[in-house]
Amino acid sequence: MTSAAMIQVRDLVKTYGDKNALSGVSFDARAGEILGLLGPNGAGKSTTMKILTTYLSATSGSVTVDGIDASSNPLAVRAMLGYLPESTPLYADMVVYDYLLWCGEMRGLAKADVIKRMADVARVVGLENVMGQVIGTLSKGYKQRVGLAQAMLHNPKILILDEPTSGLDPNQIIEIRNLIRSLGQNHTLILSSHNLTEVRQICDRVVIIHKGAVVADGTLDELEGRVASRHHLIVGVQTTDAHTQDAVKTLLAETPGAQAVTFSHTSQSPVPTAFFDVEADTDIRSALFERVRTAGLTLLELRRKSLDLEGIFQSLTQSL
Amino acid sequence: MKPIWILARRELAATFDSPIAYIAGAVFLVATGLLFFFGLGGTDDFFAAREATVRPLFEYAPWVLAVILPAVTMRLLAEEKRQGTLELLVTLPVTDLQIVLGKLLGAVGFLVVALAMTLVLPALVLSIGHPDVGAIVGGYIGLLLIGTTFLALGVMASTWTQNQIVAFIVGLMLCVFFWTATDAILRLVLDQPPPELALLSFQSQFADFARGVVDFRNVLYFLSVTTLAVLASTYSLRSRHWQ
Repeated sequence: MTSAAMIQVRDLVKTYGDKNALSGVSFDARAGEILGLLGPNGAGKSTTMKILTTYLSATSGSVTVDGIDASSNPLAVRAMLGYLPESTPLYADMVVYDYLLWCGEMRGLAKADVIKRMADVARVVGLENVMGQVIGTLSKGYKQRVGLAQAMLHNPKILILDEPTSGLDPNQIIEIRNLIRSLGQNHTLILSSHNLTEVRQICDRVVIIHKGAVVADGTLDELEGRVASRHHLIVGVQTTDAHTQDAVKTLLAETPGAQAVTFSHTSQSPVPTAFFDVEADTDIRSALFERVRTAGLTLLELRRKSLDLEGIFQSLTQSL
Repeated sequence: MKPIWILARRELAATFDSPIAYIAGAVFLVATGLLFFFGLGGTDDFFAAREATVRPLFEYAPWVLAVILPAVTMRLLAEEKRQGTLELLVTLPVTDLQIVLGKLLGAVGFLVVALAMTLVLPALVLSIGHPDVGAIVGGYIGLLLIGTTFLALGVMASTWTQNQIVAFIVGLMLCVFFWTATDAILRLVLDQPPPELALLSFQSQFADFARGVVDFRNVLYFLSVTTLAVLASTYSLRSRHWQ
């Protein structure tokens, strides 16, 4: 699926005054890949994208796009890119059709070609019904589609999308995610997000940026494997009073292999249940089951807690 | 060249989509018309002078242009900055210079339309007398040149801020300053300013045009100031890279 690096980012440093926005960011995006730039707000994702698109220059470091150095040949790099900046800036007073036509012509396409492409792109992103509308009157979701349409109008090799789903309602988010997923089949795509579910749904690979530096780079499976070597279990035992809860906690903690047991919460419906988080270095599920049963208690739940992206993200960013 | 033209076309359309073009155009026509016919009182009065000449138009029009043209240019880059559309514009495969020239050319389009509408005044004078046609042509060339220079100064002011009002006020100050103040300031600083320095003001450079003389040096002067303002605007756009 993937081949040589389409985009090479090496040691990017960006300082604004005395503030370090990026302090040595390096990663590759391979051709045909959907790469997610993930990080908390202010981590440096947007700055990285602004440098990739040649909007800003890096203080030091280099960006190479399809073998072309971005700082020495920005026009050639821009011609290969489609870009959707954060919050989707558009000319609100223009009609969608005129705006897209203008974008195409500004990119050097012949008018007839632009009109042909516009029909295709409008169908792909679902703009056909609003082509005659003034952009300022469109909903946020449709504006986002117009932004995507201008980014892919010239059929660029690379699409760079900065927070493409922020500010959309849940239905619009699903639609735009599906759209981006389908775009990934024909383009190299870099998108930024602070939404982990989104990255899981869309991206082939993730680069996590935190405080201006890359803290992780890999597929989601790799990242999960790195953090999820320990066993986390959730245990639910039927009990009616606090006294029994303490006893159960001791019982669980004394199971061979159990390392840490913490009381989580109780639930009253459908039956009173106390939940515990159990950490262990081996799989102790059958031992736990036996102990609870021989103590005369009823085990209602026993499941592995999958360490989700939130957990990975926290463990990677908080340790720094 | 092509992206400049495509950008200019959009800017001209956007200018006429907003009420500013109509307000600025109306102010220009009414103000130049009134000044042309009635002057600032006394001997300036077109009807009292009983002379078939368009000269008052060329004396007063630069004043009016210096006030209304910054209102046309204030939006050009300040609005792009405020809306964030600048980021998309400058990441298109066009240079910053092409962007500045496209914006300026679009504004020159407005200037041409506004000047064309004043042609009714020379037409009127031609219908009642025999004015110097060469002087009329020279005067219009001068107005186009000085207007373009005002627009370039306005574009430059618009690259410095996200706020259209600030862009307007700064542009207005630059235009009025270059139109009037260079003479006045020279006289303030020096008792008897050398005539070479006085040549630096727009007014002395424009005087020949108003008399109907198109001097290559005057043309070069306005083109030079325009070029400097365009380069300063380009530099201002580029400065995002090292901020």
